[in-house]
Amino acid sequence: MTKHTIISLAVACGILFGALPEVAHAQEVQITGPLAGQSSVRHMRVYREGRVQLAPFANFTLQDEFSRTIGFGATLSYHLTDWFGIGAWGFFAPIHIDTALTDQVVQTGQTTDRNALSLPQRGLFNQQIGNIDWAAALQLTFIPLRGKLSLFQKIFLDADLYISLGFGFVGVSERADVTSESGFCATAPSPTAPANDDCVATQTARASRVAPAPTFAVGLSIYANEYMALNLEWRAMPFAWNTSGTDEGGRNELGVADNSGAFPDHAISSADRAFHLNHMFIIGWSFYLPSHARISE
Amino acid sequence: MKRVFLALLMGLTLATVGATASAQDMTFGEDGDVTAEPAADGAATPPADGAAAPADSGDVIGDLASQNTDTSAQTQDSAPRITEASEEIYAVQQIYALRNGRVELSPYWSTTVNDQYVSHPAVGLGLNYWWTNVLAVGLNFNWYGGLENESDLNFHVRRSTRLAVPITEYQLGANLNFTYVPLYGKFSMFNDYIFQWDAYIVGGVGLMRTRPVAVVDPEIRTHERPEFNYQFRVAFNVGIGIRVFLTRWLAFFGELRDYAYLERLESTDVALGEARQDPSTWLASSPSLTNNVTAQLGLTVFFPFTFEYRLPR
Repeated sequence: MTKHTIISLAVACGILFGALPEVAHAQEVQITGPLAGQSSVRHMRVYREGRVQLAPFANFTLQDEFSRTIGFGATLSYHLTDWFGIGAWGFFAPIHIDTALTDQVVQTGQTTDRNALSLPQRGLFNQQIGNIDWAAALQLTFIPLRGKLSLFQKIFLDADLYISLGFGFVGVSERADVTSESGFCATAPSPTAPANDDCVATQTARASRVAPAPTFAVGLSIYANEYMALNLEWRAMPFAWNTSGTDEGGRNELGVADNSGAFPDHAISSADRAFHLNHMFIIGWSFYLPSHARISE
Repeated sequence: MKRVFLALLMGLTLATVGATASAQDMTFGEDGDVTAEPAADGAATPPADGAAAPADSGDVIGDLASQNTDTSAQTQDSAPRITEASEEIYAVQQIYALRNGRVELSPYWSTTVNDQYVSHPAVGLGLNYWWTNVLAVGLNFNWYGGLENESDLNFHVRRSTRLAVPITEYQLGANLNFTYVPLYGKFSMFNDYIFQWDAYIVGGVGLMRTRPVAVVDPEIRTHERPEFNYQFRVAFNVGIGIRVFLTRWLAFFGELRDYAYLERLESTDVALGEARQDPSTWLASSPSLTNNVTAQLGLTVFFPFTFEYRLPR
């Protein structure tokens, strides 16, 4: 892009933005009289300020590759103001459901010399995939939007939209690290040479670890009364893990283990982990204490 | 003083019923001298006889009046108003943006949220006509060509498990849709700005032009073959969305929509010998229900830009 082009673009942008009328935002209530400076809402129920929120929930992971996680947990928060709170969030995941892709690998996956370590026996593939077992985080919660909604013009409910940012830890169980440099997992089973027991044993060997991860969420609270609300939330906890338990990476040109290295490297290791968003849908029910909500001026 | 101010304020409100100001224009003159503004129909402002509410009694109007007891004095010294302002307050606010009788044009960007193996991003354009304030009929068009890409997951699964997952490719889609708005509301941001929003459900039927992509035997099953070329399929769609108004004619929206259709996917079996060249072995024996769940983000422009409320306030 030439200097002339850049200058032209800059000038065009300047003219464009300069030409915008200097009127207030259309949805900004333009008040210049006795209502000037007043709150946009008066006599509003202050649901959060000075109150403790306990919100049990169920969470369902989204866009899972090999295993869907269903968990149960709770959020415990204290709200310093009506728009800001601090708290802890966590869940335990007792339910893991294989995805259709996992079922397909179990039914039709093939083991060759090249992927003998990745898939020693296709029927055991669902035992080598990674799972999320639990997660916990400390978080800050911002509530920038507060309002009400009408359902079929019959039911009118208070609601607010919140954003949570935090940092936590995720308990994951993955296929245990193993190296097959000695070649015990280098050949595919055949009618004359069944699968090596040592190789198959590596398929079901598990290792648990704790992965640090940031977390962020966006949610909507719909208030049933002064002290209870329905929560609908989307949350993500991005971190790298080996979801498939397969040999995906090795050492790259610099000798560093990562998943861009040569395939196969005949080892299940941290080099096989890939970054995932790990997002989920959460439905919960909040209880606020004390049970009485203050009314604003 | 409070009583006089209240009387004048109520009188002005009644006198200006039928004026063209909009429901959300809660604009008050800086001078606050409401008597200086003639009523819209030229009628004299009738005096109202009501007791002023005590301060902090819960009466909003009374409270406001009590905090501005000297506004009339201020106005006498203020300069003449350059722009016209409508000095009104309504007991019940009217709907911020009426839709009935208006046309809605919506450019948007769409991306796949449910397919692990291939994403189908698209640019799209929607056109709706609102025949009531909550019901609309319209069309939307999606263009996918050249924007699609296969995920790394597909590659890794093929390499590690020798399992090929058949995928599809889209070129375009067009649908006839009906939209219903069952839910609307407003949000206050930090008790300062107010945003009007609504949530809607949408559904319809249309056509998608798609083709299966050969991943099992791409050497033989090429796109030059009719079986792997684009064909039109009947598609149904259903979705939910939320629309946030920026002005009375401009909004942005987010939508989750599922486009479902029947696709003949590539067969995962490869016949041996001469049969490998037989087109009848290339596709799966029965069509598969294919869902393309998309997240759509875009802008909405309502035409005409302005409208008038037909019912009295």
